Amino acid sequence: MLVQFYNVSKIYPNAVKALDDISLKIDRGEFVFLVGQSGAGKSTLTKLLIREETPTRGQIFINSRSIVRMKRTQVPKMRRSIGMVFQDFKLLDTKTVFENVAFAMEVIGASTKEIKIRVPEVIKMVGLKGKEERFPGELSGGEQQRVGIARALVNRPLLLIADEPTGNLDRDTSLGIMELLYDINHKGTTVVMATHALDLVKAGRKRVLELERGRLISDKRPGDINNDFTSY
Amino acid sequence: MILHHTKYFFSQAFNSISRNRLLSLATVTTVTVCVLILGVALLLFLNTSTLMSNLESDVEVNAFLNKDLTQSQIADVKSQIEAMPGIDSVLFVSKDQALQNLQKSFGGESYNLGTTMGRNPLPNSYQIKAKDPHNVPALAAQIDQLYGVDKVNYGEGLVERLFKLTKWIRTISIVIIILLAMGAVFLIATTIRLAIYARRKEIYLMKLIGATDWFVRWPFFLEGVLLGSCGALIALIFLAAGYSSILHNVKTVLFISLLSNSGVLFTVYGGLLLTGAVLGTLGTLISLNRYLDV
Repeated sequence: MLVQFYNVSKIYPNAVKALDDISLKIDRGEFVFLVGQSGAGKSTLTKLLIREETPTRGQIFINSRSIVRMKRTQVPKMRRSIGMVFQDFKLLDTKTVFENVAFAMEVIGASTKEIKIRVPEVIKMVGLKGKEERFPGELSGGEQQRVGIARALVNRPLLLIADEPTGNLDRDTSLGIMELLYDINHKGTTVVMATHALDLVKAGRKRVLELERGRLISDKRPGDINNDFTSY
Repeated sequence: MILHHTKYFFSQAFNSISRNRLLSLATVTTVTVCVLILGVALLLFLNTSTLMSNLESDVEVNAFLNKDLTQSQIADVKSQIEAMPGIDSVLFVSKDQALQNLQKSFGGESYNLGTTMGRNPLPNSYQIKAKDPHNVPALAAQIDQLYGVDKVNYGEGLVERLFKLTKWIRTISIVIIILLAMGAVFLIATTIRLAIYARRKEIYLMKLIGATDWFVRWPFFLEGVLLGSCGALIALIFLAAGYSSILHNVKTVLFISLLSNSGVLFTVYGGLLLTGAVLGTLGTLISLNRYLDV
């Protein structure tokens, strides 16, 4: 098991109950969609996964280690096994494509030699070969998200978390990004993707976790008979 | 590995300075102004302090002796005074010498006081200095009790007021300097907070990717030290040039000699440079911790 949630609740200081008694397990190599309306708790769940937030109650294990009881000094090491992709890409505008990807290796202390080998590999993999020296402002939205994905992958994470990765992209571009994510999943990385885009979810035929007002209301796998999310 | 990191930290710090030129300039200017004000205040304080020490060390006890004492009794008084703790020096002033001193203060040699008055009315006396001028009143009271001492004089009343005044001036100066330093830290922290705010996305990303707190801090830390030292250096150049030209042109102001001991000045300037670096670092650390909590 890569991810385990046991009776996890999260109540924010302003008394908003974002997650209510969530229990779930995600296996290595799975691709999981996390769906639900705005405010259902998708973002909170992803924030708990990278320990940007800690749960009010319950336990979370990643790779069999509790990240709730984890000391602050051990958090960086845990995060290195997780890659994060954002809706708004969060690229650094003053850095080139190459530098944006290399940044993720630099900040965990990789050597220049390792960076020179690994970064071009990942850039090629996301389909941006030849655009290494461009700046984010010179790229299309889809290309920018590919840079974001390359940055998330460059440190070879066990788990890739994508929070609305296609939220700012048009349909065709979104399909391209989905292809890339499936491909990454195929090569062995576990992917958790929070999204609104139901058509992408339906076409994906992957496991779907549905949240509603902080509760996990369904957990459906591709083999299930009634996998149509009429409730959503 | 460590060398590689150091190179990375320095290149990040320099990149950040050149990329945020305006904010870097603002930080340097802020430090320059703060250190300059601090330096002027410090030099004023040191000069006042020296002046007050000089004034205080002028305080002495005059012990006038009875007229009918024998030579051995006079010597006896001296040894008794010298046996007291905290005595710096005891100087005998004979009645003849006292008369000459009086005549000098009256206008020199144009007439002879001794012949005018026909006799010398002045007594023999001892001029006593204490190691710590603040002990003078207590010592005077003790000396007054000795056999053979007719009267003591140490500028009663005036001396106590002088001591009170110097104490207040010292306390107030130190408070002002501390307030100035605190203001400087606050000002610099605000400026650096702007620089860090401009890079909050980068810090957030670094933290999420798995950089340790110190890895994030180092470049900012170096930036703070560099900008702080730079600002302090500029302030020092102004301060040293200004002060040495004052020293050069006016040896004394209102008969008060200015502090010119190069060793002391060197310490002051060195301390201010260090202060600049510390201010920059402190400002950075205060501002940074808020953004590290991801």
